[in-house]
Amino acid sequence: MIGPRAIAIAACAALAVSGCGRQAARERQGDGAPRAVIGVSLLNLSSEFIVLLKRAMEERAAEMGVRLIINDAERSAEKQVRQAESFVAQKVDAIILNPCEVEASSPAVDRAIDAGIPVVNVNSETRSAPSAFVGSRDEESGRIAMGFIAKRLGGRGNVVMMHGFMGQAAQIKRDAGAREILANYPGMRLLAEQTAEWDRAKAMSLMENWIQSYGDQIGAVFAQNDEMAMGALIALEAAGLKGKVIVAGVDAIADALQAVRDGRLDATVFQDAQGQGAAAVETAFKLARGEPVQRETFIPFRLVTRENAGEFLRP
Amino acid sequence: MALALICVGLSLATPNFLTAQNLIIVLRQIAINGILAVGVTLVLLTGGVDLSLGSVLALSGVAAAHCAHPGAWPVLVPLLAGVAVGGACGGANALVVTRGGVPPFIATLGMMTVARGLALVASGGRPISNLSRPFCFLGGGDVLGIPVPVIILVAVAAAAHVVLRHMRVGRHVYAVGGNESAARASGLHVGRVKCFAYVGCGALAGLAGVVLAARITTGQPNAGIAYELDAIAAAVIGGTSLAGGVGGVGGTILGALLMGVINNGLDLLNVPSYYQQIVKGLIIVGAVWVDRGGRR
Repeated sequence: MIGPRAIAIAACAALAVSGCGRQAARERQGDGAPRAVIGVSLLNLSSEFIVLLKRAMEERAAEMGVRLIINDAERSAEKQVRQAESFVAQKVDAIILNPCEVEASSPAVDRAIDAGIPVVNVNSETRSAPSAFVGSRDEESGRIAMGFIAKRLGGRGNVVMMHGFMGQAAQIKRDAGAREILANYPGMRLLAEQTAEWDRAKAMSLMENWIQSYGDQIGAVFAQNDEMAMGALIALEAAGLKGKVIVAGVDAIADALQAVRDGRLDATVFQDAQGQGAAAVETAFKLARGEPVQRETFIPFRLVTRENAGEFLRP
Repeated sequence: MALALICVGLSLATPNFLTAQNLIIVLRQIAINGILAVGVTLVLLTGGVDLSLGSVLALSGVAAAHCAHPGAWPVLVPLLAGVAVGGACGGANALVVTRGGVPPFIATLGMMTVARGLALVASGGRPISNLSRPFCFLGGGDVLGIPVPVIILVAVAAAAHVVLRHMRVGRHVYAVGGNESAARASGLHVGRVKCFAYVGCGALAGLAGVVLAARITTGQPNAGIAYELDAIAAAVIGGTSLAGGVGGVGGTILGALLMGVINNGLDLLNVPSYYQQIVKGLIIVGAVWVDRGGRR
């Protein structure tokens, strides 16, 4: 099937693309050379949060005169390991890794550390220890959101919870944080829980089905991300129930912030992409120069309600 | 038959299942998969397959959302934009399949990643929100108590049924899928027939993308991942053959209904998420087994 012509075309395309990488290495030696070259491998550039993280890194890098080579691992840990290997081959000064998976992305850290290149993990962890970690404690976001719900319900009432992809770190930790709070309030009951896979359309269907089975028994909805919170919100509004049900999400995406400010969504939890991205670049740069750094930097989450939503909304 | 059995079972298991309100919810939830499934039925009947549906849906939704900001255009413009983008993707698939001789599996697999990439480029990787009220009515509104997406699904299914059963091009679709070389030998323009199927399928994916964007009130570049599998499953559950030439729109709608009823029922019964996936798979395979076994 695949003739020599097809292979030749593929080879040419690959050469053309690899030329971009080589150019980066060359620019270091030229005039106006950057102060450092940092390779960045991101979990998935089709997720809004990761896009914000990338923008924050680019802004901070431009201010510091650092050159970034940004790769998208497209959720594949195997691809991420390959990207780390090619960063090692390109002899970058430091690597920022936004890990796809705890176990499967670990070899990416190992390859770089073995080659003497410092690694900063940002936003999530690997089992292999990196040189430094910058991120947030995801349990905290679950605690903040469920704490808000408990306060608004006066410690009594029925809650439903929408999970992310089952088994992902964010799902497990946000779940754990939310349950910690529920355990402190004997008057609160988890009426139902189900995954909507971080997806707005799935969350809408799930909420419609829950309204059908539980009707006005539901006092509050905790969705483990804002996409699902928005889906639940739209379903509740369509059923004319939003006035009676509290909805809280996590992530503070633009849509959710607007909904909070308009008084439709009750709360979201802000994960600071700006802070994480900037701190990751700063830490990687210091490591590249052999300066001492903090091994772990935690950027705090913040509760967003109608009162403070304005300050998070970017034009 | 399997569908009837499951419905009776669910009615006994939960009092909330057999209510007019819940049945409307189920219909609304299957509308998007139903529209996709009708489209892919056209392609399956020619003996092809379309794996790009989910990505084309996302791209069309993003395109429609771009034209659907309040005060920008009348609602017909984003609607047509979405359908046109979907149709164009279908046209590209048809070109690669008929002119290039590339197997449909590969051609549409390529389109799957290309369209997803285009959706991400066109949206900058972020959902496009702030859509006008009339546009969102396409996904969230209702007329005389019937949700608009359901009305759209019924119209699409009826039109596709008429085309397949009562128009010449429909009979040609069956002929090409039944035996391509015989169809060609008897003077049919096989390429044109396939082109009709792929463009129709793409345009319907575009329409589904518009309805989805309107329902969730945003154009999501990540929407619809793996939707093509649900659509193909609905068609095959409904009796359409993966080898082409056999099947129809009526069965496809029943297939989509079966899948919708299972999802809805498992949520109503509050079956834990891990088990839902197991049960869903078993019921789908079991339902087809029962149906085919009964026919033999």
